[in-house]
Amino acid sequence: MSLQPPGDKRASLAGAVSLVSDGATVALGGGLSARLPMAMVRELVRQGRRGLHLVGSAHSIDVDLLVATGAVRRLEESYVGFEQDLGLAPAYRRAAEEGSIEVAESCCATVLAQLRAAEMGLPFLPVRGVRGSDIGRLHPEYAEVTCPFTGETLVAVPALRPDVALLHAPAGDRYGNLHLEQPYVLDERFAAASAMVVATVDELVSTDDVVAAGVTIPAHLVAAVAEAPFGAHPSSCYPRYAYDRGHLREYVSAAQAGGADLDKYLATYVSGGEESYRAAVGAARLAALATWSQSATAWRELFT
Amino acid sequence: MSWTIDEWFVTALARTIRPRETVFHGFGSPCAQVAMHVARRTHAPDMTLVEGAMYAINPDPPFIPPTSNDASLSRGAAYSMRFEEFFDAAIRGDVDRMFLSGGQIDAFGNTNVTAIGPAGRPKVKLGGGGGGCNLSATIGALTLWTTRHRSGRTLVGSCDFITDIGHRTPLGGRAELGFTGGGPQWLVTELGVFDFRDGRARLVQVFPDVSVADIRAATGFPLEVAGDLRTVSPPSAAELATVRSVDPLRVRASEFSGGELGRAFERGDGQDCAC
Repeated sequence: MSLQPPGDKRASLAGAVSLVSDGATVALGGGLSARLPMAMVRELVRQGRRGLHLVGSAHSIDVDLLVATGAVRRLEESYVGFEQDLGLAPAYRRAAEEGSIEVAESCCATVLAQLRAAEMGLPFLPVRGVRGSDIGRLHPEYAEVTCPFTGETLVAVPALRPDVALLHAPAGDRYGNLHLEQPYVLDERFAAASAMVVATVDELVSTDDVVAAGVTIPAHLVAAVAEAPFGAHPSSCYPRYAYDRGHLREYVSAAQAGGADLDKYLATYVSGGEESYRAAVGAARLAALATWSQSATAWRELFT
Repeated sequence: MSWTIDEWFVTALARTIRPRETVFHGFGSPCAQVAMHVARRTHAPDMTLVEGAMYAINPDPPFIPPTSNDASLSRGAAYSMRFEEFFDAAIRGDVDRMFLSGGQIDAFGNTNVTAIGPAGRPKVKLGGGGGGCNLSATIGALTLWTTRHRSGRTLVGSCDFITDIGHRTPLGGRAELGFTGGGPQWLVTELGVFDFRDGRARLVQVFPDVSVADIRAATGFPLEVAGDLRTVSPPSAAELATVRSVDPLRVRASEFSGGELGRAFERGDGQDCAC
């Protein structure tokens, strides 16, 4: 990690995302349907970023959209998909089958060990699993080591230091103090292991407010923070909004069809910027996603 | 009393959990997820339930949502582990059981959730293994499951790719690999239940509308059948009621093909089983 000097880190979304270079190793925060940094993902697409190397655990539309738009060269994620509910990730699957991306599938626990090595300034850490699994064959950089104390054979995995971690939080201050709610997934580890953290928040609040809620990621790890309302949509960002299952279904359907259907999705939701994105999703729909807290019935209704 | 295959299947999964165990399911696993709540509310009230991708300890969710890391899944939990707390616990041996599935499963209980066909240029790229290739090494016991046995493509002679580790891989057995967990203990399918005596899948129970010949035809490895092969015990009234109340959105059904969901069973008063 690089400790950032104190100061006002506020940036526009475009300015924040411009800190990501072509070819960068990028860690995307959140996971599955929760707190994905979608406003930054859409902005990466708008800025035409290329050659990205994505690392992380279990992801869905964030990774698939970047693959669909040709932004990705290599992936080391443990899972990309839409769970049992909506199935395989269409663009990821197609690109992997065509051979147009390098897939070095990884494992949540291995990625965690690699990030911890980077946090500690160590060249590697050992893991107990992986041997016997073909996941190891996808990673020629792994090596077997013998424990000097017990004689056990373990698998050494190298430190993983992403160039940039893109994290979304419900709230943060101008200095980059971020409050997250569970699941934190790997965000805290990404923040400490990466060379730089770029964040979006649904709302910029006062330092007093973020301290009262609890600082999960401290300002000294954050290089830039941009306000992006509904910046995790269509994933969830509790306590503000639940995930938008209908929108995910619409994306999956467009990405499965590809071609004109995917182009239409991109024209409707991505090309025009975030204000245009929120307008296309619709104020009523966005407001409905915030009704989860009214009752268990209201919450459940969002998912039917 | 009547019930459908998804309800019975989830009950069979739930029964693989023993009292006082600490149990985990991965993401995208609705049947295992529902089964854990059923076990905790019936025969294993003192289990420690670690809820999927929320890592919430013993929550009482108002419903099971169609995604594994929705905040509804941590409702009622006093504590949710951090990602790393859960993985640390699992790797040091404090998690007793995990549920794992696979697009392919072999007789040793190796599973493939990575790719069908050659890994470099797959015919079908599957989603990926999550934490499986480490967790399967150290968690106490594994309950494997699939709802796609009948397809003939799931229980295979050998996996195209081994993601999660069973009792024996081409590199050797679990002891040789230095693994501290016990490996697969049960494999529950929509056709029957296997144990792993001597580290190989052995059919021990069948659902009553399925024959051993059906199962043999759907199984890609030589089928070993227990001498005391039994019918899967029907769900109790309490188990059935719990399945239905835990999972009002019926997310469990998303794992089954439409044809399978038509399998219905009933039992009259005073009968053991009129399935």
